[in-house]
Amino acid sequence: MFDKKYLRNFDFIMLATVCAIMLISLGIISSATIINITGDPNYFVRRQAVLFIIGFFVMLVVITTDYTQFYRFAPHLYVLNLLLLGAVLVFGRDAGGAQRWISLKVFDLQPSEFAKVIVIISLARHLVSREGNFDSPFSPIPFFLHIAVPMAVIFLQPDLGTSLVFIVIVFGMLFMAGARVRHLLFYAVSGIAVGLPLMWKVLKDYQKMRLLVFLNPEKDPMGFGWQLRQSMIAIGSGGLRGKGLFEGTQSQLEFLPAQHTDFIFSVLAEELGFVGAVVLLLLFLLLIYRIVRTAAVARDTFGSLVCIGVASMLTFQVLVNIGMTVGIMPVTGLPLPFVSYGGNSLWANMIAVGLVLNIGMRRHRLMF
Amino acid sequence: MSKSMLKRLRIFMLLVFLAMSVLAARLYWLQVYQYDFYFARAETNRIRELPVTAARGEIFDRNGEILVANRPGFTVSLLDLPKREQPAVIAYLSELLEMAEEQIREAIAKQQFRAFAPIRLKRDVSAEVVAKIGERRMDLPGVIIETEPIRYYAKDNFAAHVLGYTSTIPPELWQQKRAEGQAYRLTDQIGITGIESTYENYLRGNDGKLFVEVNKHGRRIRVLGKEDPVPGHSLHLTIDARLQEIVESSLAEVIQDGIAAGNTQMGRGAVVALDPRNGEILAMASYPDYNPNTLREDILKLQSDPNDPLNHKALRGGYPVGSTFKMAVAVAALEEGLINAGSIITCTGRKQFFPGDVPRACFDNRVHGALNVRDAIARSCNIFFFELGVRLGIDRLTTYAESLGFGKVTGITDLAGERPGVLLRRQPGRRWNPGDVLTASIGQGHMISPLQLANYTAMLANGGIHYRPYLVKEVITQQGETVYRAQPEILNNPGYSDRTWQAVQKGMEATTLPGGTGSSLRHLPVRVAGKTGSAESSPGKMPHSLFVGYAPAEAPEIAIALIVEHGGLGYQAAVPLTNLIFSRYYADR
Repeated sequence: MFDKKYLRNFDFIMLATVCAIMLISLGIISSATIINITGDPNYFVRRQAVLFIIGFFVMLVVITTDYTQFYRFAPHLYVLNLLLLGAVLVFGRDAGGAQRWISLKVFDLQPSEFAKVIVIISLARHLVSREGNFDSPFSPIPFFLHIAVPMAVIFLQPDLGTSLVFIVIVFGMLFMAGARVRHLLFYAVSGIAVGLPLMWKVLKDYQKMRLLVFLNPEKDPMGFGWQLRQSMIAIGSGGLRGKGLFEGTQSQLEFLPAQHTDFIFSVLAEELGFVGAVVLLLLFLLLIYRIVRTAAVARDTFGSLVCIGVASMLTFQVLVNIGMTVGIMPVTGLPLPFVSYGGNSLWANMIAVGLVLNIGMRRHRLMF
Repeated sequence: MSKSMLKRLRIFMLLVFLAMSVLAARLYWLQVYQYDFYFARAETNRIRELPVTAARGEIFDRNGEILVANRPGFTVSLLDLPKREQPAVIAYLSELLEMAEEQIREAIAKQQFRAFAPIRLKRDVSAEVVAKIGERRMDLPGVIIETEPIRYYAKDNFAAHVLGYTSTIPPELWQQKRAEGQAYRLTDQIGITGIESTYENYLRGNDGKLFVEVNKHGRRIRVLGKEDPVPGHSLHLTIDARLQEIVESSLAEVIQDGIAAGNTQMGRGAVVALDPRNGEILAMASYPDYNPNTLREDILKLQSDPNDPLNHKALRGGYPVGSTFKMAVAVAALEEGLINAGSIITCTGRKQFFPGDVPRACFDNRVHGALNVRDAIARSCNIFFFELGVRLGIDRLTTYAESLGFGKVTGITDLAGERPGVLLRRQPGRRWNPGDVLTASIGQGHMISPLQLANYTAMLANGGIHYRPYLVKEVITQQGETVYRAQPEILNNPGYSDRTWQAVQKGMEATTLPGGTGSSLRHLPVRVAGKTGSAESSPGKMPHSLFVGYAPAEAPEIAIALIVEHGGLGYQAAVPLTNLIFSRYYADR
């Protein structure tokens, strides 16, 4: 049953913020893909618009389903998630040296994108079961194990960027759940001390190069270093007001790598300038603020934790993606939420925001 | 919600805000603070400059007749040939342009990431090739026809050695020019010889630029702008095209007639005509010559020709002077007061001058009897000049000969590669026989170039003034502005007395009168003064036939030196050649 109260409590500002980011995204995708392999200048922007509309309906379904259902089916979702991730390893489509997709004829499914949202749900339920029980320094360990399995599978694809998102999610949610800050700091520091050298052994050379190149782009003048420099040239040359939509020389002349996906922010910053870039940052800040605000008013801890999980995920992805394009973060290949071209990331993020909207509008217990 | 959770939410939000602020600060740094730097980088990323070849300056004769120009040539180039179409297009072009497919593929490979610049496949193709490519336009994507100025020598062989030729810059020269701070592209044309080489800096012009926007693959997106090339400056030469043509055709005629008459040793020759009043070179011909328009096709044949058509004989040839040297001896003797215009020496036809020396004779043992200097020159009496040589001694003779330019360069700067020649003289450490002065007195043992001989003749005509010979009168920009105007330059004037010059000139005038060695020139419409020469060449070969002279004798405007190798005695080849030249040149007098 749909209650009028839900409508009153619905966070239209959050939805409008997402729509505004989407509109900017469509404009930039349009500009970035005027010249593309299909020969149809509107191919990508049309496709992304369709994906957004489909995503909107998916989000509606998520919103209208009482989120307690997600709580209930969290373990099932977790298992389904592992099955899908496993399927990627077995049936996955190879692209650019990584297996991330399952080909479904019209659409390539990328389970790792949805895994983030599923883990947020299952981790929230897991945390709720231990609520108020974080005195022991060992108490966070089960939650690390909770994320470790999906994270490891994704790491093996290999998709380092996405697997790192899980770490941020677990720390963010543990923090909200009430874990001791000193415990979290201890695990963070020791995780870095132990995990980093370990990871270094597993990483392939091109991954190491991608991670380090932002420190010294000259080291790899032809590959990632070149990409990075082109991105910084694009952004820097945009100046205060930008060169105008469709007028970016770096993007229109194809100097930018992956300019409608990972490096779409470079196109935005070149064509819309510092002003446009800051507007986008403010929109993200507003979106995350509304999510955090929802966390504060949620009717239960599960809701609050899901909100914080979503906020952590979005913040980290924005920071890492934009940080990469401006040369202060490693090249990890994380898409910019709601802006980069591609359906999986878009839908996963819309589902995540749908969950938050859901939690927000059900903030007061309903009287029967 | 508990208070502690709210506090943690605030901390969380603060961290998010900090993260966004870091990004905003970084963006401010890149986009506002370092904007100029990155904007410049973006511009150099997208803009490439393509050179637009400037047309080379044109060359005219003294009367404005065009000698060297540029004609539009068609070049077949590739611009952005789609990969899919490559094999078919390459195969077709290979056949049409008669190039190996491999060559075309190499050219394409070299241009990777420079697809904005056309790949030049073949320069100066025929109109037929252009038409064929035009017909198949649709099947030949990326194949373009560019027009480029091609050097064009309007009169083919005309003054070929003087004008010189151009070619694609050789790698050594490219490096040398680079070291001198002159930037040439490896495909640039440059003057290799002659005026084309010495006046390269005036002729070359400044290339223009085409600003092209490219993408990251170097593919041309559009043309942003253009900086027009500045054509090279025009040269106006001292050469008189009419005289040059007469000289060339007459020289060829005499040599070919001689060969036809059975003198197979003939085949080379050179003529230089100067204006004795200022040093302007009016004509400068070397035989055989070549056609610079077809040089590339002819080069192998030319290089294997025993008569060496590429050699600039008029400038760089070395010839024995023969009897044309006798005026120098006369000047020395007159100037030293050993004789005067009326002094008589008796020719007995044959005389032994030094004990142990072979008896010396006049040509054919002819006995000239009592002679003054005028008749001695006119009839080319050896005994007379042997006697003067003995009286002068070799050292005084050397001094005077040098003052008249023997054994020295003329100082021409408009052409490169002049050599000083040889003056037979006493040299420390080398044995000197008393009889050697006799050899020197009749011009044997010295070597001289036709240009030097003409300069000597001009000094005889103008009373001893050595002007620097020059070829370029004026350099004029495309706008008609004069950037260089040659001034006659006196390099030397020994200041000998008028009486000396007059006595010698009288002798040269008498040469072309009845009884003189060049008496056949007396029928010309203009009075010619001169002197024949028959210079011993290699043993068993015909002597070189020489003539030096000037006209009109009473007010000289042309001083000329002619050498027909192995043409026989002076009157056999060089005098008839002089006759042809002057009769044609002064035909309307």
